[in-house]
Amino acid sequence: MPEIVLTNITKSWPRAGGKKGERTVGVDNLNLTIKDRGFITLLGPSGCGKTTTLRMIAGLETPTSGKITIGGKVVFDSEKGINISPDKRNVGFLFQNYALWPHMTVYKNIAFGLENMKWKKEDIKARVTELLAMLKIDELGDRYPSELSGGQQQRVAIARTLAPKPSVLFMDEPLSNLDAKLRLEMRTELKRLHRDTESTFVYVTHDQLEAMTLATEVCLMEKGVLQQYDPPLEVYAKPNNLFVADFVGNPTMNFLRGQVISREGNKAQIKFDETLVEFEANDNFDLSEINEQVVLGVRPEFVVSGTSKGRKAEVIASLPSGMETTLKVKIDETILTSVVFGIVDYPVGEKITINFADNHIVLFDGVTTNRICDGKLAFVK
Amino acid sequence: MDNSLTLPKDNPETTPPSNDKPLTRWQKIWNAIKTYFSKPANIILVIFAVLLSITVVLPLAYLLFNTFQIHPGEGSLGKIGSLTAMHWFRVLFDAEYDYSVNLFWKPLGNSIGMSLIACLIAIIIGGGIAYLITRTNLPFKKFISTVFVFPYIMPSWSIAMFWENFFKNTSLPGIQAQTGLFQAMTTLSVPSGFVYGFWPCAICLGIHYAPFAYILIGGILRNMDANLEEAATILKASRLKIMRKITLPIVLPALISTVLLVFASSISSYTVPMFLGKDGFMTISLKMRALFTKSQTMGQGYVVATILMLFSFGILMLNQFITNSRRSFTTVTGKSGQVSLVRIKKPARIILTIVVLFYVGFFAIFPLVSFALESFLATSGDYSKFTTYYWTTTDETNPYITGSVGILHNATIWNAYLNSLLISLACALIAGTFGILIGYAVARTRGKHLSNYVSNMAFLPYLIPAMSFSTIYLAVSSAKAFSFLYQSIFLLILVGSIKFTPFASRSGTNAMLQLSGEIEEAAIIVGVPWWKRMTRVLFPIQKSSFISGYLLPFISCMRELTLFVLLTDSSLILTAVLQNYETYDCTQISNGINLIIIASVLIINLVTNKVTGASIDKGVGG
Repeated sequence: MPEIVLTNITKSWPRAGGKKGERTVGVDNLNLTIKDRGFITLLGPSGCGKTTTLRMIAGLETPTSGKITIGGKVVFDSEKGINISPDKRNVGFLFQNYALWPHMTVYKNIAFGLENMKWKKEDIKARVTELLAMLKIDELGDRYPSELSGGQQQRVAIARTLAPKPSVLFMDEPLSNLDAKLRLEMRTELKRLHRDTESTFVYVTHDQLEAMTLATEVCLMEKGVLQQYDPPLEVYAKPNNLFVADFVGNPTMNFLRGQVISREGNKAQIKFDETLVEFEANDNFDLSEINEQVVLGVRPEFVVSGTSKGRKAEVIASLPSGMETTLKVKIDETILTSVVFGIVDYPVGEKITINFADNHIVLFDGVTTNRICDGKLAFVK
Repeated sequence: MDNSLTLPKDNPETTPPSNDKPLTRWQKIWNAIKTYFSKPANIILVIFAVLLSITVVLPLAYLLFNTFQIHPGEGSLGKIGSLTAMHWFRVLFDAEYDYSVNLFWKPLGNSIGMSLIACLIAIIIGGGIAYLITRTNLPFKKFISTVFVFPYIMPSWSIAMFWENFFKNTSLPGIQAQTGLFQAMTTLSVPSGFVYGFWPCAICLGIHYAPFAYILIGGILRNMDANLEEAATILKASRLKIMRKITLPIVLPALISTVLLVFASSISSYTVPMFLGKDGFMTISLKMRALFTKSQTMGQGYVVATILMLFSFGILMLNQFITNSRRSFTTVTGKSGQVSLVRIKKPARIILTIVVLFYVGFFAIFPLVSFALESFLATSGDYSKFTTYYWTTTDETNPYITGSVGILHNATIWNAYLNSLLISLACALIAGTFGILIGYAVARTRGKHLSNYVSNMAFLPYLIPAMSFSTIYLAVSSAKAFSFLYQSIFLLILVGSIKFTPFASRSGTNAMLQLSGEIEEAAIIVGVPWWKRMTRVLFPIQKSSFISGYLLPFISCMRELTLFVLLTDSSLILTAVLQNYETYDCTQISNGINLIIIASVLIINLVTNKVTGASIDKGVGG
């Protein structure tokens, strides 16, 4: 079944207005294995090469070099000069703006692909009816795309993509044109579809929440370079570097830039501003070799308040949202974000005690910005 | 008072609001009027509604009236000035000596056939080039798209004139028996039907309007979301099928518009058949001109003009009916920056490139060379002896035309040139400004009845065949009350301004619709007066579109003959002078004049394009 393997995929263009030979790199030496029946999201800020990657796998764009196989079959190989056209890759593609054909009815839009595959008339009818029911748009068959709402168009686009039963389904930010409520609904729908259709899904998004909630694996890219490729919770808990740590999670991670004062075994004393903290690495990770410049990454939910031990901090902002309240607190010159669960609010200016909880504090190298290890963190008296 | 206490709201007249006196009905109306006119858009709308009613609607009614009136010279039909249906009868149904057939039905058939073929040619060539330029990896795109529109910028007869220059040969009968370029190069002579008549007219019109098809279809293709085609590729549709089932249906509205507008322009074309109808090929517009030159047939001329106009109305209605269907063709532009161009493989690509370059070379650049060459020939058709005689001599070169000295010394030509420039400039200024104002008013009051009325009336002159349009004004200026207009420059400016307002109002309206109202509202809030909002905020933002709105009327006016031919004598404007020299077969000078016109138009277009970024393909064209 379809496992997709990308080997050393690079895409570059001649630089506009640049000298001869200068090239803009869209995707740089990407290696990626997408497991069969996986649901992976290509995540990253706009312009990071995720859409280009997707289009290259689908065959809509030609890589500059590298090799792509889908289900063991080589569909692109720059060295051997193989480049199989998109219609022979047995893939489905859901476009961001749906790309519904304005001159065809909903029924015709869905049936078009099946007609091209020379399906029998009654089979086409059965399949289209099945899809219309599956996506709960039974009554829209005779309408034209311009007569549909955004959500309905979205469903028609999904139905059209699913109709020929592709073993691989590519989606390019399919939910970004929908309103918040509908987006939530469609996310659930997509997860259900993924289970029901048993296809491999590759999904492009710049919305980290979407990526986290949908995917079995997240592929995070920046400026055409792969940053991390792991299950979502792994990406959240153990980000490979500061970029990943910063991009994933909302509110964003706290970064405490500090200097190592002393190190011994799996413990190190680190000073940021005037505050001294002790970091204790998990699994007896040896810290004796680490750089002097480090960054401590603390997720907001691990900055806890109201503890008996800890440090006094001043509340400078309180943003309650009902289920949780986001607090901005100040220690010395550093502002920390904290998330407190429950229906609570704090007056600005109040002094509260804060502390670090759990053993998911991440230690980054201050120079390379890569993750060293994770562990516990405590204030030193 | 009891009443007023129990039913205070139902009886406002008896319960005055505490301090104010009750408003009388007139005061209320007065207030409503004041409110209405406090918006500049409404003022403009009302002004143009009146203006366009006077300049477009009234003359149309007058034209219709003229088809029933007995004119001086038609005295055999009855008392001059009284009404008759004879004009209509003679044009449509007079079977005596097949009068109607020869006068009307045959030329009409010729015109329709010629226009249909011209549409076909324009669509195939223009659409083909549009596809190649927007969707494939054809090289030299920039050069091709710049040069390809030349035939459209040139006067409409240029291609016809070039065609004649190129293919005329010594085997033709009578006065036309001259050596053409083709014969000079190959010693072959093509048959008469290849030089004059139905096919050459249709082909030359087709070539002239091909850039128009290119502009319309290319615009749609450029804005069309490439994802629509990619989606079909993924669903295993072959390239041919995508073309047939996706691309063509989506550009269909543009195709239909092109067909209809090219058809409307071709059927009323006068200049092309004037050049290439020398073998007796008769079109409806030639016939109409002939009818107007004789005072006994004026009424019949008006009838033909009316019928031509009805044709155009029908076409417009058809166009609106077809493009207003349920299948909205608004194309949402997605990630179209990522258009993957269709790769044409090596041999086909080279062949295509050569064919396209040959085409633009032959029909866009070569005509200029040919006009220049022809003007330097000692004897027309003899390509062995060149001379600057026809440019520099101070002797009369033609016995029939007084003052027909060399072009450089020819006072008539340069006077006419100045007049042409002046008229074009005035028309451009008036039409362009009208366009911006109408665009502003229509965009700001969209959906209102008056707004639709002004918008339609401003587009109407486009659909009135040029000759019918000038006929109307001919009729008006022949009337006693307006005799001061007769054959005056002022009349030409008036006719030109109104006739070319559609270009400007289209581009003005489109440009204004693209600007959200908020941009202006932001200025209103801080108290910027209307005049300043227009000149300091709105105009600069859409500068290039607005300047296109000035450029198009200028170019169209500069190269226009059909519209003016009935309204001027042979020396007032340059195109009329050219026609005069052409009529007396003074080909060197007429070619030279044509060269001057084309060069002026191309240079002005190029300079405007370079300086302001405006270009003619941003407007509607016609």
